[in-house]
Amino acid sequence: MSNQQINPASPLSPSPSLPCSPAPPLPGPSTRVRVTFATAGPLAYVSVLDLGRLWERAVRRAGMPLRYSQGFNPRPKMQFAAPLPTGCGGDAEWLDLWLTEPLEPAAINAALEGQLPPAMRLVNVELVPEDAPALSEQLAAATYRVLLRQVEFAAAEAACAALLEEESVLRAKRGRRRHQHYDLRQLLEALSVAPAAAPWTVALDMRLKARAGATGRPDEVLSALGLADAPRRCTRTALLLAEPAPEPSA
Amino acid sequence: MSSQLPASSTQQPAPSIQQPAPSIQQPASSFQQPAATLPPLSWESLEALLHRVQKPGRYVGGEFNAIHKPWDEVHTRVCLAFPDLYDLGMSNFALQILYDLLNRHEDTLAERTYLPAPDMIAALRQAGLPLYTLESYRPVAAFDILAISTAYEQLFTNTLELLDLAGIPLHAAERDERHPLVIGGGHGAFNPEPISDFFDVFVIGEAEEVILELLEAYQAARALPREAQLRALLRVEGLYVPRFYRPEYTREGDFAGITPLIAEAPPRIQRRIVGTLPPTPIRQIVPNIETTHDRGVIEIQRGCTRGCRFCQAGIITRPVRERPAAEIASDVFAIAAATGYNEIGFLSLSSADHTEIETLLQTLQQQCAELHLGFSLPSLRIDAFSVALAEGLTGSRKSGFTFAPEAATEALRRRINKDIRTEDLLTLAGEVFQRGWRTLKLYFMIGLPGETDEDVLAIVDLAHELRRIGVRFGGRKTEIHVSVSTFVPKPQTAFQWEALADAETIARRQALLFQHLRGRGLKVSWNKYAATSIEALLTRGDRRLNALIERAWQLGARFDAWDEWWNLAAWEQALAEIAPALFGSVAALREYFLYRPRTEDEVFPWDHLLSGVEKRFLLQDARRSRAGEFLSDCRETCHACGILQHYPQLRSPEWQCPQ
Repeated sequence: MSNQQINPASPLSPSPSLPCSPAPPLPGPSTRVRVTFATAGPLAYVSVLDLGRLWERAVRRAGMPLRYSQGFNPRPKMQFAAPLPTGCGGDAEWLDLWLTEPLEPAAINAALEGQLPPAMRLVNVELVPEDAPALSEQLAAATYRVLLRQVEFAAAEAACAALLEEESVLRAKRGRRRHQHYDLRQLLEALSVAPAAAPWTVALDMRLKARAGATGRPDEVLSALGLADAPRRCTRTALLLAEPAPEPSA
Repeated sequence: MSSQLPASSTQQPAPSIQQPAPSIQQPASSFQQPAATLPPLSWESLEALLHRVQKPGRYVGGEFNAIHKPWDEVHTRVCLAFPDLYDLGMSNFALQILYDLLNRHEDTLAERTYLPAPDMIAALRQAGLPLYTLESYRPVAAFDILAISTAYEQLFTNTLELLDLAGIPLHAAERDERHPLVIGGGHGAFNPEPISDFFDVFVIGEAEEVILELLEAYQAARALPREAQLRALLRVEGLYVPRFYRPEYTREGDFAGITPLIAEAPPRIQRRIVGTLPPTPIRQIVPNIETTHDRGVIEIQRGCTRGCRFCQAGIITRPVRERPAAEIASDVFAIAAATGYNEIGFLSLSSADHTEIETLLQTLQQQCAELHLGFSLPSLRIDAFSVALAEGLTGSRKSGFTFAPEAATEALRRRINKDIRTEDLLTLAGEVFQRGWRTLKLYFMIGLPGETDEDVLAIVDLAHELRRIGVRFGGRKTEIHVSVSTFVPKPQTAFQWEALADAETIARRQALLFQHLRGRGLKVSWNKYAATSIEALLTRGDRRLNALIERAWQLGARFDAWDEWWNLAAWEQALAEIAPALFGSVAALREYFLYRPRTEDEVFPWDHLLSGVEKRFLLQDARRSRAGEFLSDCRETCHACGILQHYPQLRSPEWQCPQ
């Protein structure tokens, strides 16, 4: 999981469609803004590429001057700390944005007011040094809460206990590398199970490693638990950094 | 209860063909009271399905600029439906216009629905949940009016799927005032006969004004039984209520005309148009997931003066109305600010024909350079002016450039009224490659009236010649993409008297293309003839084809425009079951609708729906086609198509008709 450079795929179109002219090279330092945001409901079901587009558009609506890459196909400079899996909301997701003009957090907060989609909430805005390391490099783990329906608590408890007993749980990788395997158990740092209020029956809390090349996914844990088909609501509750780092206040 | 079951549950599909999933059944009690009281689906009930389906973002709404009006504070609730995937439907600008227009009305709310992909349809049916709207998650059946786009024929089976998934009886005759009033509109409504059983009303032409008149008439009549409601709607010009008309057939079974059954039903319905283009919707809904045309849209021009004889849109959108450049420019900035889009698409049938397009783009490009705002222009002509325009758009990044010569020989281009000389095309291609484009996309049709194998081989020669030119300027990486579709003779055009080319001819000509368009830098793609012939049937059919469409849908046909879901077996079986009783055989049915030669006095199933372009004019143009005569662009000289005569009171300065 390297830096997430947002890359809105250009829609297929038989007609020429391009930005009006190449952006001149951007002089001077830019402002790096770290936003903490939450998504839920409908926005849990978009991909991380979609989230990038949503943010680009929200920032444009807010009239904030995004820094774009140079060249003839300019992209805004944005980095998510970690891509949010499709099907998963987030309580405190981090995104770094680069602006071409200095703006104070209060002004950014005010500008974004009313410009976010209904299921997205701004939690915090702060400025970070231009040369601060990428969040993805500092990331160590993420915690998730998964609410389940139609699952008996005792069964879930037993499945969790059994999974934690295992020393190794091999799972197929996704996509083109699906013939290769990885050890999910090594990525699962913690797993607890509790009863949940109706309509849910079970709440799972899990902590999964989130390092480059070693990132656990909650749906893989559900599969390993034999709960792949259970109706669920998944939320990434926190992103955890490895070392003392700029601590976004929630 | 049984009377409310959609037909699919009461008829047994033949074995061995995919059986439609069980229909949603409304509890009988819910129809004893106004459907408007049907409660919204809970988020939790939807959430339980979303982890199982592809692209769940299609089914959840929550977009920026979507409008959520309180359900109980309006009198009339309209559900706008596009019967295909969200990704496609969100790109339909007509629904955006209506959404904006209806929601401006204090007493009305409009919400959206699309047809879910088969995986989500299955999940909804399995969970016993009906189709819902993306704003309030209300069942579609709870709305007063369900407006379904009939933009093109491949949406017809999807329309049945949509109604069934909504728990609404398919046939207008089975519905009453407790069900939504189901209205259709769009280009496909210029021959609505094959789907006339399923709709209560069709809007013929541009909906911006007539939809409000329809709402008003509906509101006044809403307490009445459905039949009386529909009678009340007959007072609104431009509405076609098929149940008040009866088709006539000769003893041989030839279609002989449509007759009103009641005095209030007008024998002919004239297309509605607007005199000036209504304001552009500014707060356009910004989808949360990527859609087919993921950009802001401004309709810069409606109509086209080119007069291509195969083109239905060019007839049924007349006259050309241009949005003033100043208005377009201010719309650009307003839409960019309201949506955050980094691209605005200019919508029209022939963008380069807008009289102010050049200065408009120059001005915009100067003003937008720092905004990272781009523009796209569809449907450019094949001329130097268009190449220069595209050059301005693209800076120096070069993606594909598109030409649509449609035919490769001048003789054939005369037949279709596409006034391009081959040498000009070659010169222009040189220009395009010289300016740095590496891919040239070419659109052709085969099966055109009067076409020979030599005309098709000329496509091959032209593609090779263009590739040579491309290599000279741009090296061996130059690519020529040839896209070949099969000509379908469309209703309301000069070619409506023409036949569809037969399977053997098209197979031979496709094989010629495939054989000779091989090698490095050449790509060729074409449509499957079987799908084209079904499309042609649905385009040209009469009321007898309602049964065919319904049967094909029962047998599993839907998403007819999608290769992965196209179900030829369902169509063939439906034809095999339906055709014998109507025409004696499948071949005879195809012969009747597709292949037989038509005389000039042919009565068409769409003759009662008037585009404003005279049938006499179309016939003259058909004769000119056979004589190989061009008809000039009617901006310079009026050819008296009939528009000026039929809409004199609507003429405005936006019209490009000569004085």
